[in-house]
Amino acid sequence: MDYATLIGQATLNGLVIGAMYMLMAVGFTLTFGIMRVVNFAHGEFYMLGAFTAFFTYAYWEIPFVVCLLIAALTVGILGVLVEGALIQPFRDDETSGMIATLAISVIIQNAAVLIWGPAPRPMPDIVQGTLMLGPFSFPWSRLVVIAAAVLIFVTFWLFMQGTRTGRAMRAVAQDKETALIQGIRINAIYPLAFGMSVALAALAGALMGPVFSVSPFIGLTPMLKAFVVVILGGLGSVPGAVVGGILLGLIESFTATMFGSLVSDILQLLLVIMILLVRPSGLLGQREY
Amino acid sequence: MIKRHKFAMLLCLGAGLSQPVSAETLKLGVLATLSGAGTAWGISMQGAAELAAEDVNSKGGLEVGGKKYNIEVVAYDDHYKAADALTATNRLIFDDGIKYIVGPLGSAPSLAVLPVTTENKAITMTMAFTPKALSPDFPFSFRPVIPTDIFSDPQIKWVAKRLGVKRVGALFPNDESGQQIAVVVEAAYEAAGAKMVSKEFFERERVDFVPLLTRVLAQNIDAFELDGNSPQTAGLLVKQLRELGFKGPIIRTGGDATADIVKIAGAEASERIYVHQSIDPSAPAMAAYTKRFEAKYKVPMNAFSPFFYANIQLMFEAMKKAGTVADTDKVRQQMLSLTGFETVLGKVGWTGQEQWKSNQQLDAPYYIAVLKGGVAAIVATCERTRCE
Repeated sequence: MDYATLIGQATLNGLVIGAMYMLMAVGFTLTFGIMRVVNFAHGEFYMLGAFTAFFTYAYWEIPFVVCLLIAALTVGILGVLVEGALIQPFRDDETSGMIATLAISVIIQNAAVLIWGPAPRPMPDIVQGTLMLGPFSFPWSRLVVIAAAVLIFVTFWLFMQGTRTGRAMRAVAQDKETALIQGIRINAIYPLAFGMSVALAALAGALMGPVFSVSPFIGLTPMLKAFVVVILGGLGSVPGAVVGGILLGLIESFTATMFGSLVSDILQLLLVIMILLVRPSGLLGQREY
Repeated sequence: MIKRHKFAMLLCLGAGLSQPVSAETLKLGVLATLSGAGTAWGISMQGAAELAAEDVNSKGGLEVGGKKYNIEVVAYDDHYKAADALTATNRLIFDDGIKYIVGPLGSAPSLAVLPVTTENKAITMTMAFTPKALSPDFPFSFRPVIPTDIFSDPQIKWVAKRLGVKRVGALFPNDESGQQIAVVVEAAYEAAGAKMVSKEFFERERVDFVPLLTRVLAQNIDAFELDGNSPQTAGLLVKQLRELGFKGPIIRTGGDATADIVKIAGAEASERIYVHQSIDPSAPAMAAYTKRFEAKYKVPMNAFSPFFYANIQLMFEAMKKAGTVADTDKVRQQMLSLTGFETVLGKVGWTGQEQWKSNQQLDAPYYIAVLKGGVAAIVATCERTRCE
């Protein structure tokens, strides 16, 4: 395998994993941007999305696109309920809100272990086979993840930019008090934002389930990566989450391919620290005064 | 007066005879990975303990020194982590008062808990492949599964010769187990005239191996070694290797993972995989055990399970011979004296004195199989030193 092939292969690998990080991070940063809540349970909603896709696709054999919709809807509605019941009471207290999300994370994960057991479950591929382009091997299952992630993000972006509710969400993110004065119902926006945020995590989980496997513990790594991505891209910045997600995926892929897994882990975090030293508010984040 | 005493004694005797002899409880600990990537192994150990307990309890208990004991299984998850294994061991020994433990599972957890179990004279049955798990310093540590040290040389020699393998690539977990197995396997390939041209380590939580496999494949390998990886990880590695277009043979030198590999990667991707097969599934006793295990747990039986079941069979027999469950030293000595004992694996004995100065390694034959259509077909039978 020559260098050009290696670089091409590493780029595709990085885009796949970056697309997943992007979906996770966009949801994560949305919650923070609008609600000022760092949602430590974000990874568990990713896991719930993966399990929903597992049962609907692997057991009930529903078409995968419908499975994605079911995952987004069920987890999204669950998110709305969780926000109303467990996060809303801590709305003006960021620290207590964080602790609440940590508790939600533990509750969801342990409940999943009790209900579905701890063993990882393999999921059948959405599409099988590999696209061979000269020396490059592109598994179709991974290409589908990139395409689906882009489509989901574009839909989300259009919603945020082009709809009344999307604009209201952005207004709340920019200035809560002014948004209130303009007649925006914050009590409706918060649960909706949280539901959308965890629905994005669920979609990421549902997309990655067939590529890897599904177990109650799969949420931790994407959650940690999403955390790194939003810090890298700028906390609260959606474009930052996109750039950060793709960038982290590519960095991870290239460093692992060139230097191996252990060096890759070190290099990734070193690069993030270096970027933050130069731009403390993240790549596309706004400095807070 | 005397008559009245006699009457009272008879009454007492009668009361004593009419009371059913209630069995005492003997707790059997399980210290294994019951969540995450090593779950298939953990369940195989827990299942062995529970099925062995069922055998005894269904017959009214284990009779030792004139007393009947019902076996109660107490299982804790070590998450394949040394610190968690130590916590679980402390609970087993100090809270539950257990002196017989099925486990620990991995090498790192084993090395963490063995000083504690040894000090408290608790008999353990480890799955750890590290050579340090058996030693004169750990007289209560037994190993029912056959480790890489024993089978890697003859098995790799046989497979490398048959496939004409010269350049091998491999990924190993970055812990005591993975590091240890990498050393043993690499030496075995060298001895067989092949070279491990690409060897990478990764953290056990990893599920995306594509970047690392791309790096390995760049070395133009003609075979890939899976040893040291948990069944689920082995399945993901096979799946991702084939997705990257690798069509060469894949070798699984140790640790049964066949069921998970086929389940995760699919039958087609699993073609041309040469696996270490620790059991002959067609043997009647083994077939019966497999059927029983799978009926109870609704998952494919991992082939390590019968080794633990056999070790527990040996231990129960040793307890009977020792006439005690309290004196683990006596039980240990009786267990070592059992050679040619008929178990689910057939006749087994003990070995290991030469390698580890501890004769507490279970000795049983093993096999090499190739996967065809998702099913393992035995192609060679091996003893301690050779395969044919």
